[in-house]
Amino acid sequence: MLPNWLIESETYAPPKDGGAFVVKTMKTIGMVLARLKVQRGHEKRHAIPAVIKFFLLVALVLLTSVTQNRLILLAMLALVQAYLAFWPAKDLASILKPALFASLLSVLIFAPAMIMHPQGIYNNLIVIAKVFVSVEMVNIFNHTTQWNHITTALRKLHIPSIFIFTLDITLKYIVLLGTVINDLLTSLHLRSVGKNHRKYQSVGGVMGVTFLRSVEMSQQMYEAMCCRGFTDDYKGL
Amino acid sequence: MSLLELKQIEFSYEKDETAVLSDFSLAIEAGQCVLVLGENGAGKSTLFRILNGLSFAQSGTYHFDGILIDERYLKNNRNAKQFHKRIGYLFQNPDVMLFNATVYDEIAFGPRQMGLSDEEVDRRVLDSLSLMEIESLRQKAPYHLSGGQKKKVALAAVLSLNPDVLILDEPFAGLDKKSEQWLLQLLKDLKAAGKTLVIATHADEKFQEIADTSIIMGEKGTRESI
Repeated sequence: MLPNWLIESETYAPPKDGGAFVVKTMKTIGMVLARLKVQRGHEKRHAIPAVIKFFLLVALVLLTSVTQNRLILLAMLALVQAYLAFWPAKDLASILKPALFASLLSVLIFAPAMIMHPQGIYNNLIVIAKVFVSVEMVNIFNHTTQWNHITTALRKLHIPSIFIFTLDITLKYIVLLGTVINDLLTSLHLRSVGKNHRKYQSVGGVMGVTFLRSVEMSQQMYEAMCCRGFTDDYKGL
Repeated sequence: MSLLELKQIEFSYEKDETAVLSDFSLAIEAGQCVLVLGENGAGKSTLFRILNGLSFAQSGTYHFDGILIDERYLKNNRNAKQFHKRIGYLFQNPDVMLFNATVYDEIAFGPRQMGLSDEEVDRRVLDSLSLMEIESLRQKAPYHLSGGQKKKVALAAVLSLNPDVLILDEPFAGLDKKSEQWLLQLLKDLKAAGKTLVIATHADEKFQEIADTSIIMGEKGTRESI
């Protein structure tokens, strides 16, 4: 038999409480997940093979890092910017934001040196420019290559399979665990109908459950792999 | 006036993708029990997200009790809380609903937020535990319960808010025959108490006793028949 409070309809005026934190976190996780899930990026059907792209990336990043020649650095900067100029605006943001953030971080790190030794500013700016263009190139590679193609490329380069396996599984589980967190936060959001005096406890609960789920999932996955003949030799897609 | 009313909803997750819901309309009266049927990927979960104010249609309108539910309305914290209090949502997977340390805390989460007195919170929790026949689980950690027990705790957590509408996604998933019978009886009682029920299921024959109407979600989420 239903209790009386469940039968009676009640008028409810929610007490004031700042609940924006959960919604904002949900939106951020959702956006990151969407980006990871639809990681088709710019990859074209007849794109350059991932292994060549990977080689090219490593070579260009190395060249950018070790070059002492200002012209080479400027040429790299110009080339990358010219290439990006043909990209749609929404994709540009995902390339430029991390590059700008990394450059800003470099500026902050160099700030004391720039203030104390102004004569070295030129060299500091060169390093900052190198950081910017390197992060841009890594982002372009990331944006134009699917995860599974990256792991296949690493395999072709004879990178140890345990490293590739760890990378592959980490990427897959970031999405899975992100989905778990997102669902838990959605549920928390739907049931947050008033003033939560234990916000940190709730968020702690979400983190705790996610941790337990990750342990459980990793164990289940390993067992499932063993059942399917996994012998510690990982073959990527 | 219908309690829940969707008019000519168009929804797709990405701008360039095919619409999940296309020209979709639905009206549910207060106290009705509506079954939502359809194959996987037909748009049932999307429909539930819209009904719960988690996603918003690109075009068309959603009215709840005469109020237009859109992003702007739910941006106001007070409106959102009032709306979520009136609609209870039971996820298909109860795991994603349980984040508290004990079953007691899980069920008390909603009533505590509503600002009810400790005695009232305690009464609601104990009544819910008794209603679900899970009194013995009171101090257990929800995470370590069986699938059926988790479902009962999740349902108790939703019911403790005393919502007007209950949206249930595959409520029989993970339940044994006995628990199915018990849940069906509970849903009958809830309907008799005037609650509006919206149930997504593949086992529509089991709900025939309580269902007033059913909608079949077809390709692109278009309603095919009533």
